[in-house]
Amino acid sequence: MDKRIIYKNDDNTISIIVPADCGLTIEQIAAKDVPTGKEYHIVNASDIPSDRTFRNAWEWQ
Amino acid sequence: MASIKIAGDTSGEITISAPAVSGTNTLTLPANTGTIITSATAAADVPAPTQLSTASGSAPSYSARAWVNFQGTSTVTIRGSGNVTSITDHGTGDYTVNFTTAMPDVNYCGVALPNDGTAGTNLVIACENQTRTKTVSAFNIWTAYGGNGVNKNLYDVGTVNVSIFR
Repeated sequence: MDKRIIYKNDDNTISIIVPADCGLTIEQIAAKDVPTGKEYHIVNASDIPSDRTFRNAWEWQ
Repeated sequence: MASIKIAGDTSGEITISAPAVSGTNTLTLPANTGTIITSATAAADVPAPTQLSTASGSAPSYSARAWVNFQGTSTVTIRGSGNVTSITDHGTGDYTVNFTTAMPDVNYCGVALPNDGTAGTNLVIACENQTRTKTVSAFNIWTAYGGNGVNKNLYDVGTVNVSIFR
């Protein structure tokens, strides 16, 4: 699946959900795996930087 | 097609038919009393096997209840999985595996094995991330290359393998 789900944590870091090929839609996976109450965004996998050198400093803007 | 018909106990009948065959084939029934399992048998009525057919010895077999193989570097990607809806990338070497169907309790056994990739030279390790809550539907892991609690050197690795047993 070429989509990713992004949500912001309380410390302003971001978590990225990588979906498996499990038969669920990206929306269904978001409903299940995003922590309750967290706002999330569905983006293309290609929008996520592939250079993870400063991964812990990534922010959602 | 040759058939044998058996009258039902109170009504109806069962027909046992032999297809067209070449030569002589033999179907041997078990010597013990039992029930024939067919494709129409309810799953609840099928006896539960105690071990896999490939097992030797008498120890019971337990298969994985979930598994995933994912790339932890570059664009994090799941290569293959079973009973997993997704993994959550929280940061460098910090992941959660999310199960499709939950485990019966949190006493399951999670096994994680990292691989630094063909070009990697680090001796990499994986362990359960105790700073996140283990639940029946999610298992948390760190991947790293040594260190301690203060400087634990969390590290992205080329391959992370995770299996769950219960």
